[in-house]
Amino acid sequence: MGRQVAIASAGFSEHASKRSDVSMPELVSEAIEDCLKNAPGVEIGDIDAFVNGNMPAFEGSNIPELWMTDWMGARNKPLLRVTTGGTTGGTVAISGYYTVAAGLPGIDTVLAVAFEQQSQGDTSVGLASVAYGEISILNTLGIPYEQISRLLSAGAAIGVAAYQATTYMNKTKIKEEDLARVVVQNRRNAAKTWWAHLKMPNLTIEEVLDTPYVQYPLRYGMVCPASDGACAMLFTTEEKAKDICDIPVYVNGVASVANETAVLGYDGSGSCQIDPSMQLGAIRSAELTYSQAGISFPRKEIDYAEVYSPFPNQELMWVEKLGLFEEATAPEMYEAGVTAVNGELPVNCSGGVNATNAIGASAMERPAEAALQIMGKASNQVPKTVHTSIGSGWGGSLNLITLMAMSDQPRRKF
Amino acid sequence: MIFIIILIIIKNEIKMSEEKVIVANKGLVRADFAFWVGQYLDKFYDGLENKKIMGNKCPKCGDVFVPPRKICGKCNVVIPLDENWVDLPETGTLMNFTITPYRINDRTSRKAKDWTIGMIQIDGSNTSVVYRLLNMEPEDIKIGMKVKIEWNEKTKGDPSDIKGFLKV
Repeated sequence: MGRQVAIASAGFSEHASKRSDVSMPELVSEAIEDCLKNAPGVEIGDIDAFVNGNMPAFEGSNIPELWMTDWMGARNKPLLRVTTGGTTGGTVAISGYYTVAAGLPGIDTVLAVAFEQQSQGDTSVGLASVAYGEISILNTLGIPYEQISRLLSAGAAIGVAAYQATTYMNKTKIKEEDLARVVVQNRRNAAKTWWAHLKMPNLTIEEVLDTPYVQYPLRYGMVCPASDGACAMLFTTEEKAKDICDIPVYVNGVASVANETAVLGYDGSGSCQIDPSMQLGAIRSAELTYSQAGISFPRKEIDYAEVYSPFPNQELMWVEKLGLFEEATAPEMYEAGVTAVNGELPVNCSGGVNATNAIGASAMERPAEAALQIMGKASNQVPKTVHTSIGSGWGGSLNLITLMAMSDQPRRKF
Repeated sequence: MIFIIILIIIKNEIKMSEEKVIVANKGLVRADFAFWVGQYLDKFYDGLENKKIMGNKCPKCGDVFVPPRKICGKCNVVIPLDENWVDLPETGTLMNFTITPYRINDRTSRKAKDWTIGMIQIDGSNTSVVYRLLNMEPEDIKIGMKVKIEWNEKTKGDPSDIKGFLKV
C-alpha cells in the first residue's frame, strides 16, 4: 500500500448557469481561494504538484491547464491533466490521491482542480465526442451520424439515463412521483448550499410533474442544469495534514471501474446491455473501495453519501448499488426521510448533481462535499457527526464509476 | 466497407462581462473521417443485406453477441472469425423502452410525433440492440413482450436495413 493520504481542504466557486463575470482561469482561481481559505496553515507556494481536468472540448479550449497555470499557482511545478468524460472530477481527485500516495521525493501536497464553464462553449460540439453514446464509436460500428437518432434518440446522457430509468422503474414498480420526490429533496437542499446552482426552497412534487418530458420517463423538471463552476481539493500526507488543518479527512479507499463496453445498443457484451440499471461497475467499485477502507457493513459504517445523480433514477440506483440500501428499497427510504439532512443516512445534502452540474467538476464535488461533512464545514451541514463518507462519480456513456471513501480515522494497518 | 463523413460547424464568440461580442468567427469546417467497421461487423452487415441476423458465440462462456464481436470481455477470449457463428431468428424480447419528442440531429422535427424506441434482445442472444418500435402506442408497450423485425424493402447492408420492430 502507498502512503496514507489525507484531504486537508476542499473549496468551490459559486455556480450559476452563466458566470459571465469571470474568465475560465478566474473561475478556477475562485475555487482555489476558497479551498486555501479552509486550510489557513498552507499557502499557494507550499503546494508541490497539481492535477487539473475538465471535459474535453466543451468550451472549445484545448489544453486549458496551460492557460490557467498562473491562476492555479502552478508555474514551474509538476502539472498533470486528466479527463475521463462525466467522471473527470472523480478521476482528477483520484489522481491527486495517487500523486500523494506514490511518495515521490518532494511531492507531499497536491492540489486537484476540476472545472467547467459550459456557458462559454457549444456543449453539443463537446457532447458529439463524449455523451452522444460515443459518436465516433458508433461510427466505427457502421452507424452514420444521420442514423443515430434512430438508435439513441434524444442523445447525450439522458439518452442513456432514460433506459436506466425505465428498467429501474419496471423492476421496483415505482411511479414518477418517486422520481420527483428525489428531485424535490435535492433542490431544497441546494437552497441551503452557498455554491449551488438551482436553489428551489419551495419546490413541490406536483410542480416537477407539471413539466413536459425530455424523454420518457424523465421530465424537464427532473434533469440537471448546465452550470459554470469549479472545485478544488487539497491532498497531503498524514503528517502534514495534522499541521495544516484541525480535522484531517483520510482517504481510505478509491476505485475507478468501467465494467463493460460503453456503447448502448450496438456494441455491448455484458449484463448492462440487457439491463442498463444493473451497473456492475458501481458494485465492483464499491467492493474495491470498501475492501481498501476496511468497510464491511457499508449501510452501518457509512454516515454520509454524495452520489453522482444528474437524473433522479440514478440517485436511487447508486445508493442501492453502492451498498447503502437493499435492492429496490431506495424509493421507500426517500419517502421515509432516511436520506434527508436530519435522517439516518443523509444523501446529497449539497443538492447533488441534480441541482448543480458543471460537468468536469461534478464528480469531484461529490468527494469534496463528503469530506467537508466530516470536517463539519459543509454549507448544509448534517446535524449528526459524520465519521465515514463516500463520494461517487458516473460517466463514460454507460458505467464508468469512480468512488472515494473517506474517514476521520486513517486506514487500519494490518 | 462503410465510410462516413461528418460535417462540423464551428462558431466562436468571445464575450465580455456585459456580453458585448468583441470577436465573432463563423465558418464551416469540413472534417472527413473514415472508420473501418472490421471483418466481424462486415459479415454481420452482409447478413442484414440478405435479411438475416447473425451473431457469434463465445467459446468459453457461451454468450451470443449481436452484433458479433472479436473479443468476449467477460472471458478475455478471442472468438475466431470463421467459427462460432450462429443464425438467429427475427424475433426478440423487449427489455425496456423510452419515448422521445426530440431527435438527436434534427432540430426541425421537434413538433413531430413522439418516437418510441426500445432495447430488444434477439431470441438466442445475450445482448440487445436499440431500434424504433413501429405501429405501437405507448400504452400498448409492455416490457418483456415479444417483438419481430420489420425489414426495409431494399436492403443496403447497414444498420438501417432494420426499419424497427413490430409487435408479434
